[in-house]
Amino acid sequence: MVRSALASKQKIGQGPIPGAAYVPAASVFVGILLACLPIVALSGWFPDFGFLILIAWRLLRADVWPSWWAAPLGLLNDLVAGYPVGLSVVVWTVSMLALDLIDRRTIWRDYWIEWALAMLLILLNETVQWQVAAWMDAPVPYSAMIPPLLISIAAFPIAAWIVVRLDRWRLGRQ
Amino acid sequence: MAAPRPGWSRRAQYGLFFSFIAAILGLAIGLILLAFSIAAPNSFKDFRGAALDGTAPITGALHQVTATVQGLASGAGDYWDAASQNGQLKRQRDAMREQLTTASAILQENRQLKAALQLREQTTEAVAAGRLVGSSYQSPRRFAILSAGKSDGVQVGMPVRAPQGLIGRVIDVGSLASRILLVSDRANIVPARLLRTGQAVISQGRGDGSVEIKPLEVGRNPFKPGDLIITSGTGGLYPPLVPLARVVRLDGDNAVALPLANPAATSFAIVEQPYEPEAMAPLSEKDKELP
Repeated sequence: MVRSALASKQKIGQGPIPGAAYVPAASVFVGILLACLPIVALSGWFPDFGFLILIAWRLLRADVWPSWWAAPLGLLNDLVAGYPVGLSVVVWTVSMLALDLIDRRTIWRDYWIEWALAMLLILLNETVQWQVAAWMDAPVPYSAMIPPLLISIAAFPIAAWIVVRLDRWRLGRQ
Repeated sequence: MAAPRPGWSRRAQYGLFFSFIAAILGLAIGLILLAFSIAAPNSFKDFRGAALDGTAPITGALHQVTATVQGLASGAGDYWDAASQNGQLKRQRDAMREQLTTASAILQENRQLKAALQLREQTTEAVAAGRLVGSSYQSPRRFAILSAGKSDGVQVGMPVRAPQGLIGRVIDVGSLASRILLVSDRANIVPARLLRTGQAVISQGRGDGSVEIKPLEVGRNPFKPGDLIITSGTGGLYPPLVPLARVVRLDGDNAVALPLANPAATSFAIVEQPYEPEAMAPLSEKDKELP
């Protein structure tokens, strides 16, 4: 009994996979490429998958990447998804910096606080998209942004679950 | 989780600090890029075109797969109840044949009348045809990806239509694919006419797949649900007499209409020359001014 209590469930010699440090960025890249799916939709209500995976990683760990990696990833998202160049660069980098500052303030965190933070960041993302669209002669009423906002907020736990699974896989903690 | 604390390691402290500075630099660069994108939407057209070429083959290949699967499913469905469908289609064909005769007579008469009036008719030629393979399904703007690009002769500003009606116009062009501003985008304003009365109206997208139809003259609401809207050709970009939308409900002085060409359901889209090539001129001059 003592022996079984002391025995580690982890197999000896099982560690992080090679290139584990780049798995988070690669998963964000895959999320960005989801914009290439052949979906011809009448309304843009799908969540911004790259952004969801980005903030899910950053909320899970503070050291997944240096904050400035968000800028090139955002540029890629702009080019792939057809946003005005610079939109995601700004929003994604601001999100990383904001979470850096919040990390200094919060003493503890639970799942609800993480979801609330994600909610705020998704709200920021959608509002900036809406404002930039308005500046580019496409002033959509804000009420049209409510459905995609709710869908994105509801989709965050799924992104967070995927990210946790990926994290366990890359660190060899199955 | 608390913030990463570098401890006493000077190297780790500097690493964290420089990454912070780099992030702020990235933010500044992003703001500059965004300002350029908003003030001069054409500034990054080469990059955007290259990105389209990079991603459109993926979208196109995936589209082939989904189209095949859908084709198999609907193909199997067609065999169901084939006999009664056959009879129905035969009756429809006979009715259509009568209408076709009438229509060709009208067409001939119309041609003779136009010749008598010596109206010069501008023929719009198709530049290219392609499939709508993707769309901006994550954004409040309504764009679609068309599988025809610069190598097929597509240029920025050309109108795009399907057999059922108008789809939009080209705004970004790569050599293999192009990005279409759909009529349902908020920034796409189409001069149009109410088919029933001929009254001039304009159509503006609402960003959710429908368009808003506004009468140009103030007065009582001229629309009825079911009214058809066609393009008027004013402005010279979109050709006249292309079906545009069908009114579904009234909204104050305006009406909400659904585009007749559903980009999700059309298989082929045709890129045409602008109705009057002069409509492109101010656009290309503007391009030259920009660095």
